[in-house]
Amino acid sequence: MSKDDIVRIESVEEFLVHAMELEEASYEHYDELADTMEVHNNLQVAELFRKLANYSRLHAEEVHQRAANLDLPKITPWDFKWKCPSTPEAFCMDEADYMMSSAKAMEIALFNEIRGRDFYQQVADNSPSEAVKKLALEMVEEENWHVEMLREWQASMQDEQPQEDLDPPNMPE
Amino acid sequence: MTVPALKAKDYKSGIKAVWCPGCGHFAVLSALTKAMAHLGLVKEQVAVVSGIGCSSRLPAYIDTYGFHGIHGRALAAASGLKAARPDLTVIVAGGDGDGFSIGGNHFLHACRRNMNMAYIVMDNEVYGMTKGQASPTTLPDWSNSKMTPHGTGIPSFNPAAIALAAGAGFIARGYSGEPSELTRLLVEAIEHPGFAFLQVLSGCVTYRPDQKQWKEEVHSADSDLPTDDPVKAAQMIQAGDGKATGIIYAKRFPVWQPENRTDAEINEIEKEFLL
Repeated sequence: MSKDDIVRIESVEEFLVHAMELEEASYEHYDELADTMEVHNNLQVAELFRKLANYSRLHAEEVHQRAANLDLPKITPWDFKWKCPSTPEAFCMDEADYMMSSAKAMEIALFNEIRGRDFYQQVADNSPSEAVKKLALEMVEEENWHVEMLREWQASMQDEQPQEDLDPPNMPE
Repeated sequence: MTVPALKAKDYKSGIKAVWCPGCGHFAVLSALTKAMAHLGLVKEQVAVVSGIGCSSRLPAYIDTYGFHGIHGRALAAASGLKAARPDLTVIVAGGDGDGFSIGGNHFLHACRRNMNMAYIVMDNEVYGMTKGQASPTTLPDWSNSKMTPHGTGIPSFNPAAIALAAGAGFIARGYSGEPSELTRLLVEAIEHPGFAFLQVLSGCVTYRPDQKQWKEEVHSADSDLPTDDPVKAAQMIQAGDGKATGIIYAKRFPVWQPENRTDAEINEIEKEFLL
């Protein structure tokens, strides 16, 4: 890992702004996916994304509560310190497809949750502040719980038959 | 009374987008609302104007004034609005077909007219709303459409080169897969005094699934950009692969804003439109 790849967050306030942005982006993206799946009548996957949005929303609320009464810094949207072009839990959305199965949706969710956990772990590993490390490790623990929950959920899923696309994109045969 | 600062989500209208899941336009919508929040724009002082196409649905999803116009005429409508209401922040949005084909002539003259507005073209190199036909920016060998089973065979339109040749003072390229950087570009475009053109590579997951590959192909523009030298900008654009993101060219020219000569009252004007 090069020096430029290190996520170095100096204060609790800075950390909480990052966590808020990450969790809010997460539920907004899941809500967005749930909405579009409803529009495309893929209701099973819509319900799954809606549940994931609600979990992320709870997580975001928790972060907001921790940040209450703190004087938070304003970070411009392009100055957040994640090393990916988007927020870690809202990455890879172009993998979504209107005909996607619940299994594929779960794959995307797991990928995102693991990225979120890894971000918090990087913060814990590299912050010079003990308070930030402690808080980041608490978030890692919560994200680990999410990942495990999703894995269990994934394991309990039944194999689905691929859906027939009644209005396929107009591609040549 | 202090007005609380608006957050990005406050600029969303709450209308559910009907874009396909995974569509790049979601990232443009998100980046635009973040840019508006960053700039602290007053909603009642912003108008988003569009033409026709998937991307042109954008005004419906933003809680400012908006006008979903007719095909290719977004810039014409926006120019009229800006002429009458220079106090508004005017943002124009559309796609590659709307902007470069149906509205191609308006694009040229908007560039040289240099009214103070930002023009965002969400370029997915395809007509998505009509089920996947080749657009002006489609590469000549793209053959995944029944309309052009052997490709168009026509060299694709180079938006940045055309904008530069037509006299635009701000030319930038962004990518929907890099929403943070896209937000920065949108802020710069809106703040630029004059006509600002921002091409956004915004993949179509349904008709151009091959564009997922853009993740590997898009890269930052050279560090010595932006330039204010049109010759250097032209060389960079022509030598480039069309996937470099960032501000390519930025130069200030006199902004064209007609004097508001009318002294008619709004109810008098309305009478002219009565059937």
